[in-house]
Amino acid sequence: MYKLEIEKVIEEIKQRKATQVLIQLPDGLKPKANVIIDSIESKTDAKAFLWLTDCFGACDLPLGLDILKIDLMIQFGHNRYWKDKEW
Amino acid sequence: MTEIVFIDAKWEGIISLEDKLKNYLQKNKISSIALFASVQFSDADNFIKELEKINIKVYITKAKRTSKPMQILGCDAYHNSFHEDIISKSDAILYLGDGYFHPKALLLAQIKGQKIKPVIMWNPISKTLEILDEKIILEQMKKYKRNLKMFINAKSIGILVTIKPGQNYLMTAKRLKEFLEKQGKKAYIFIDNNLDLRHLENYPFIDAWVNTACPRIGTDDIVNIKQPLINIKEAGNPVKALEELEFRK
Repeated sequence: MYKLEIEKVIEEIKQRKATQVLIQLPDGLKPKANVIIDSIESKTDAKAFLWLTDCFGACDLPLGLDILKIDLMIQFGHNRYWKDKEW
Repeated sequence: MTEIVFIDAKWEGIISLEDKLKNYLQKNKISSIALFASVQFSDADNFIKELEKINIKVYITKAKRTSKPMQILGCDAYHNSFHEDIISKSDAILYLGDGYFHPKALLLAQIKGQKIKPVIMWNPISKTLEILDEKIILEQMKKYKRNLKMFINAKSIGILVTIKPGQNYLMTAKRLKEFLEKQGKKAYIFIDNNLDLRHLENYPFIDAWVNTACPRIGTDDIVNIKQPLINIKEAGNPVKALEELEFRK
Protein backbone atom coordinates (compact mmCIF):
# COMPACT_ATOMS: atom_id res chain seq x y z
CA MET A 1 0.00 0.00 0.00
CA TYR A 2 2.97 2.32 0.65
CA LYS A 3 5.91 2.60 -1.75
CA LEU A 4 8.93 0.92 -0.16
CA GLU A 5 11.20 2.22 -2.94
CA ILE A 6 13.36 -0.90 -2.74
CA GLU A 7 15.28 0.10 -5.90
CA LYS A 8 16.22 3.43 -4.32
CA VAL A 9 17.28 1.64 -1.13
CA ILE A 10 19.51 -0.76 -3.11
CA GLU A 11 20.96 2.14 -5.12
CA GLU A 12 21.79 4.12 -1.95
CA ILE A 13 23.54 1.10 -0.42
CA LYS A 14 25.56 0.36 -3.57
CA GLN A 15 26.44 3.99 -4.24
CA ARG A 16 27.72 4.48 -0.70
CA LYS A 17 29.43 1.05 -0.70
CA ALA A 18 27.75 0.41 2.65
CA THR A 19 28.63 -2.88 4.28
CA GLN A 20 26.31 -2.78 7.30
CA VAL A 21 22.86 -1.18 7.08
CA LEU A 22 20.28 -0.51 9.77
CA ILE A 23 16.61 -0.17 8.80
CA GLN A 24 14.30 1.85 11.08
CA LEU A 25 10.56 1.60 10.42
CA PRO A 26 7.42 3.24 11.81
CA ASP A 27 4.95 0.74 13.28
CA GLY A 28 2.77 0.67 10.14
CA LEU A 29 5.67 -0.58 8.01
CA LYS A 30 7.16 -3.05 10.52
CA PRO A 31 5.18 -6.00 9.09
CA LYS A 32 7.02 -5.41 5.79
CA ALA A 33 10.46 -5.48 7.42
CA ASN A 34 11.27 -8.93 6.05
CA VAL A 35 10.60 -7.81 2.47
CA ILE A 36 13.09 -4.96 2.87
CA ILE A 37 15.80 -7.03 4.56
CA ASP A 38 15.41 -9.96 2.11
CA SER A 39 15.73 -7.57 -0.85
CA ILE A 40 18.85 -5.90 0.53
CA GLU A 41 20.52 -9.19 1.34
CA SER A 42 19.73 -10.71 -2.05
CA LYS A 43 20.64 -7.67 -4.15
CA THR A 44 23.66 -6.27 -2.32
CA ASP A 45 26.61 -7.57 -0.32
CA ALA A 46 25.58 -5.54 2.72
CA LYS A 47 24.44 -7.03 5.99
CA ALA A 48 21.06 -5.60 6.97
CA PHE A 49 19.65 -5.15 10.47
CA LEU A 50 16.39 -3.88 11.97
CA TRP A 51 15.85 -1.33 14.73
CA LEU A 52 13.41 -3.08 17.06
CA THR A 53 11.38 -0.31 18.67
CA ASP A 54 10.51 3.39 18.31
CA CYS A 55 10.56 5.50 15.20
CA PHE A 56 8.75 8.66 16.29
CA GLY A 57 10.01 10.70 13.34
CA ALA A 58 13.07 12.10 11.64
CA CYS A 59 13.86 13.71 15.02
CA ASP A 60 14.30 10.24 16.49
CA LEU A 61 17.43 8.58 15.07
CA PRO A 62 19.21 5.74 16.88
CA LEU A 63 22.53 6.74 18.45
CA GLY A 64 25.77 4.85 18.87
CA LEU A 65 25.61 3.00 15.55
CA ASP A 66 29.31 3.76 14.95
CA ILE A 67 30.13 1.35 17.78
CA LEU A 68 28.54 -1.45 15.75
CA LYS A 69 30.29 -0.26 12.56
CA ILE A 70 26.95 0.41 10.87
CA ASP A 71 27.79 2.72 7.99
CA LEU A 72 24.27 3.47 6.71
CA MET A 73 20.97 4.02 8.54
CA ILE A 74 17.79 4.12 6.47
CA GLN A 75 14.65 5.50 8.12
CA PHE A 76 11.33 4.89 6.36
CA GLY A 77 8.16 6.96 6.55
CA HIS A 78 9.76 10.34 7.16
CA ASN A 79 11.83 12.93 5.37
CA ARG A 80 14.47 15.40 6.41
CA TYR A 81 13.60 17.34 9.56
CA TRP A 82 14.69 20.87 10.42
CA LYS A 83 15.40 21.17 14.11
CA ASP A 84 14.69 24.42 15.94
CA LYS A 85 17.84 26.23 17.05
CA GLU A 86 18.75 26.17 20.76
CA TRP A 87 17.81 29.37 22.55
CA MET B 1 30.31 8.02 10.84
CA THR B 2 26.93 6.50 10.01
CA GLU B 3 25.24 8.11 7.02
CA ILE B 4 21.46 8.63 7.00
CA VAL B 5 18.91 8.19 4.22
CA PHE B 6 15.16 8.80 4.43
CA ILE B 7 12.54 6.92 2.41
CA ASP B 8 9.19 8.80 2.34
CA ALA B 9 7.10 5.62 1.86
CA LYS B 10 4.44 7.49 -0.07
CA TRP B 11 0.97 6.03 -0.54
CA GLU B 12 0.72 4.12 -3.83
CA GLY B 13 -2.75 5.40 -4.71
CA ILE B 14 -3.91 8.64 -6.31
CA ILE B 15 -5.72 11.13 -4.11
CA SER B 16 -8.92 12.32 -5.75
CA LEU B 17 -11.82 14.50 -4.68
CA GLU B 18 -14.49 11.94 -3.82
CA ASP B 19 -18.18 12.89 -3.78
CA LYS B 20 -18.40 12.49 -0.01
CA LEU B 21 -15.79 15.21 0.57
CA LYS B 22 -16.95 17.35 -2.36
CA ASN B 23 -20.52 17.36 -1.06
CA TYR B 24 -19.38 18.26 2.46
CA LEU B 25 -17.33 21.21 1.21
CA GLN B 26 -20.11 22.48 -1.03
CA LYS B 27 -22.84 21.98 1.58
CA ASN B 28 -20.82 24.03 4.07
CA LYS B 29 -20.12 26.73 1.45
CA ILE B 30 -16.36 26.44 1.87
CA SER B 31 -14.61 28.58 -0.72
CA SER B 32 -11.04 28.47 0.57
CA ILE B 33 -8.96 25.80 2.23
CA ALA B 34 -5.68 25.55 4.14
CA LEU B 35 -4.36 22.21 2.91
CA PHE B 36 -2.01 19.99 4.93
CA ALA B 37 -0.90 16.35 4.62
CA SER B 38 1.43 13.83 6.17
CA VAL B 39 4.39 13.10 3.90
CA GLN B 40 2.79 9.87 2.64
CA PHE B 41 -0.06 11.89 1.08
CA SER B 42 1.77 15.05 0.05
CA ASP B 43 1.67 14.37 -3.71
CA ALA B 44 -1.72 15.98 -4.24
CA ASP B 45 -1.48 17.99 -7.48
CA ASN B 46 -4.43 16.19 -9.03
CA PHE B 47 -6.53 16.64 -5.88
CA ILE B 48 -5.74 20.38 -5.75
CA LYS B 49 -6.79 20.81 -9.40
CA GLU B 50 -10.08 19.09 -8.62
CA LEU B 51 -10.69 21.47 -5.69
CA GLU B 52 -9.92 24.47 -7.87
CA LYS B 53 -12.32 23.18 -10.52
CA ILE B 54 -15.18 23.58 -8.03
CA ASN B 55 -13.95 27.10 -7.21
CA ILE B 56 -12.23 26.33 -3.94
CA LYS B 57 -9.08 28.37 -3.39
CA VAL B 58 -6.30 26.19 -1.99
CA TYR B 59 -3.66 27.70 0.28
CA ILE B 60 -0.43 25.87 0.99
CA THR B 61 2.45 26.79 3.27
CA LYS B 62 5.61 25.23 4.62
CA ALA B 63 5.70 24.29 8.28
CA LYS B 64 9.01 25.18 9.95
CA ARG B 65 10.41 21.73 10.61
CA THR B 66 9.25 20.00 7.43
CA SER B 67 11.10 19.54 4.16
CA LYS B 68 8.30 20.36 1.78
CA PRO B 69 5.25 22.65 1.55
CA MET B 70 1.88 21.22 2.66
CA GLN B 71 3.54 18.62 4.89
CA ILE B 72 2.68 18.78 8.61
CA LEU B 73 4.56 17.25 11.54
CA GLY B 74 3.27 16.71 15.06
CA CYS B 75 5.76 19.23 16.48
CA ASP B 76 4.64 22.08 14.21
CA ALA B 77 1.97 22.84 16.79
CA TYR B 78 2.51 26.57 17.43
CA HIS B 79 0.84 29.62 15.89
CA ASN B 80 4.20 30.64 14.42
CA SER B 81 5.04 27.17 13.09
CA PHE B 82 4.17 28.12 9.52
CA HIS B 83 5.82 30.41 6.98
CA GLU B 84 2.44 31.93 6.17
CA ASP B 85 -0.67 32.05 8.35
CA ILE B 86 -2.97 30.28 5.90
CA ILE B 87 -5.19 28.95 8.70
CA SER B 88 -6.58 32.42 9.54
CA LYS B 89 -7.32 33.37 5.98
CA SER B 90 -9.05 30.13 4.95
CA ASP B 91 -12.65 29.07 5.48
CA ALA B 92 -11.53 25.62 6.56
CA ILE B 93 -8.53 23.40 7.26
CA LEU B 94 -8.25 20.17 5.30
CA TYR B 95 -5.86 17.40 6.29
CA LEU B 96 -4.98 14.43 4.07
CA GLY B 97 -3.81 11.37 5.96
CA ASP B 98 -4.68 8.93 8.68
CA GLY B 99 -4.42 9.11 12.49
CA TYR B 100 -4.88 12.06 14.85
CA PHE B 101 -1.28 12.98 15.76
CA HIS B 102 -0.62 15.33 12.83
CA PRO B 103 -4.04 17.02 12.50
CA LYS B 104 -4.09 17.64 16.27
CA ALA B 105 -1.03 19.86 15.75
CA LEU B 106 -3.25 22.09 13.58
CA LEU B 107 -5.69 22.54 16.48
CA LEU B 108 -2.90 23.16 19.02
CA ALA B 109 -1.43 25.80 16.71
CA GLN B 110 -4.63 27.81 17.16
CA ILE B 111 -5.00 27.78 20.95
CA LYS B 112 -4.00 31.41 21.40
CA GLY B 113 -6.74 32.57 19.02
CA GLN B 114 -10.34 33.34 19.99
CA LYS B 115 -11.72 30.59 17.79
CA ILE B 116 -10.26 27.18 16.96
CA LYS B 117 -11.19 26.12 13.44
CA PRO B 118 -11.90 22.40 13.22
CA VAL B 119 -9.83 20.19 10.92
CA ILE B 120 -11.59 18.30 8.14
CA MET B 121 -9.75 14.99 7.96
CA TRP B 122 -9.86 13.07 4.70
CA ASN B 123 -8.37 9.59 4.73
CA PRO B 124 -7.52 8.77 1.08
CA ILE B 125 -7.14 5.05 1.82
CA SER B 126 -10.42 4.35 3.61
CA LYS B 127 -12.11 7.31 1.84
CA THR B 128 -13.57 8.46 5.12
CA LEU B 129 -14.31 11.95 6.34
CA GLU B 130 -13.98 13.03 9.96
CA ILE B 131 -14.17 16.39 11.68
CA LEU B 132 -11.62 16.96 14.40
CA ASP B 133 -12.58 19.85 16.66
CA GLU B 134 -11.30 21.50 19.84
CA LYS B 135 -13.02 18.93 22.07
CA ILE B 136 -10.04 16.62 21.54
CA ILE B 137 -7.60 19.11 23.12
CA LEU B 138 -9.79 20.65 25.86
CA GLU B 139 -8.69 18.31 28.65
CA GLN B 140 -5.05 18.90 27.74
CA MET B 141 -5.49 22.66 27.76
CA LYS B 142 -7.19 22.59 31.17
CA LYS B 143 -4.38 20.48 32.59
CA TYR B 144 -1.76 22.72 30.95
CA LYS B 145 -3.20 25.80 32.64
CA ARG B 146 -3.15 24.00 36.00
CA ASN B 147 0.46 22.92 35.32
CA LEU B 148 1.53 26.49 34.52
CA LYS B 149 0.06 27.69 37.83
CA MET B 150 1.88 24.93 39.73
CA PHE B 151 5.13 25.66 37.88
CA ILE B 152 4.96 29.35 38.81
CA ASN B 153 4.73 28.41 42.51
CA ALA B 154 7.22 25.52 42.37
CA LYS B 155 10.51 25.78 44.25
CA SER B 156 12.21 22.68 42.89
CA ILE B 157 12.17 22.09 39.12
CA GLY B 158 13.14 19.03 37.07
CA ILE B 159 14.24 19.72 33.49
CA LEU B 160 13.93 16.79 31.06
CA VAL B 161 16.43 16.43 28.19
CA THR B 162 16.52 13.68 25.57
CA ILE B 163 19.62 12.43 23.75
CA LYS B 164 17.61 12.06 20.51
CA PRO B 165 19.53 14.23 18.00
CA GLY B 166 16.46 15.98 16.59
CA GLN B 167 15.00 16.81 20.00
CA ASN B 168 18.10 17.50 22.06
CA TYR B 169 18.18 20.90 23.80
CA LEU B 170 20.77 20.48 26.55
CA MET B 171 22.22 23.96 26.06
CA THR B 172 18.75 25.51 26.42
CA ALA B 173 18.12 23.34 29.50
CA LYS B 174 21.34 24.59 31.10
CA ARG B 175 20.33 28.19 30.37
CA LEU B 176 16.91 27.58 31.90
CA LYS B 177 18.48 26.05 35.04
CA GLU B 178 20.63 29.16 35.46
CA PHE B 179 17.63 31.43 34.84
CA LEU B 180 15.45 29.60 37.38
CA GLU B 181 18.18 29.54 40.02
CA LYS B 182 18.61 33.30 39.67
CA GLN B 183 14.94 33.50 40.66
CA GLY B 184 15.65 31.53 43.84
CA LYS B 185 14.35 28.17 42.59
CA LYS B 186 16.43 24.98 42.50
CA ALA B 187 16.66 23.12 39.17
CA TYR B 188 17.92 19.64 38.25
CA ILE B 189 18.54 18.35 34.71
CA PHE B 190 17.51 14.76 33.92
CA ILE B 191 18.77 13.05 30.73
CA ASP B 192 17.37 9.97 28.93
CA ASN B 193 16.53 8.69 25.45
CA ASN B 194 12.77 8.03 25.57
CA LEU B 195 11.23 10.32 28.18
CA ASP B 196 8.97 7.86 29.95
CA LEU B 197 6.97 10.03 32.35
CA ARG B 198 6.19 7.11 34.66
CA HIS B 199 9.69 7.61 36.09
CA LEU B 200 8.88 11.09 37.40
CA GLU B 201 7.33 9.61 40.54
CA ASN B 202 10.79 8.46 41.63
CA TYR B 203 11.78 12.07 42.31
CA PRO B 204 9.35 13.34 44.97
CA PHE B 205 11.57 16.38 45.69
CA ILE B 206 10.60 17.88 42.30
CA ASP B 207 7.55 20.20 42.44
CA ALA B 208 7.21 20.73 38.66
CA TRP B 209 8.82 19.53 35.44
CA VAL B 210 9.92 21.17 32.19
CA ASN B 211 10.09 19.17 28.97
CA THR B 212 12.70 20.26 26.42
CA ALA B 213 12.11 17.39 23.94
CA CYS B 214 9.13 16.85 21.60
CA PRO B 215 6.55 19.54 22.47
CA ARG B 216 3.75 17.00 22.17
CA ILE B 217 4.97 15.41 25.43
CA GLY B 218 3.86 18.64 27.10
CA THR B 219 0.40 18.49 25.53
CA ASP B 220 -0.66 14.93 24.78
CA ASP B 221 1.11 13.07 27.59
CA ILE B 222 0.33 15.35 30.55
CA VAL B 223 -3.19 14.01 30.92
CA ASN B 224 -1.76 10.64 31.96
CA ILE B 225 0.39 11.90 34.86
CA LYS B 226 -0.33 13.77 38.06
CA GLN B 227 2.96 15.68 38.23
CA PRO B 228 2.79 19.17 36.68
CA LEU B 229 4.81 19.40 33.45
CA ILE B 230 5.15 22.28 30.99
CA ASN B 231 7.10 22.73 27.76
CA ILE B 232 10.36 24.69 27.54
CA LYS B 233 8.73 27.37 25.34
CA GLU B 234 6.55 28.50 28.25
CA ALA B 235 9.14 28.06 31.02
CA GLY B 236 10.83 31.43 30.41
CA ASN B 237 7.63 33.39 30.99
CA PRO B 238 4.92 31.13 32.45
CA VAL B 239 2.84 34.10 33.64
CA LYS B 240 2.50 35.39 30.07
CA ALA B 241 1.74 31.86 28.81
CA LEU B 242 -1.00 31.54 31.43
CA GLU B 243 -2.51 34.92 30.52
CA GLU B 244 -2.63 33.87 26.86
CA LEU B 245 -4.64 30.78 27.77
CA GLU B 246 -6.72 32.24 30.61
CA PHE B 247 -9.68 33.21 28.40
CA ARG B 248 -10.09 29.60 27.32
CA LYS B 249 -12.42 27.72 29.70
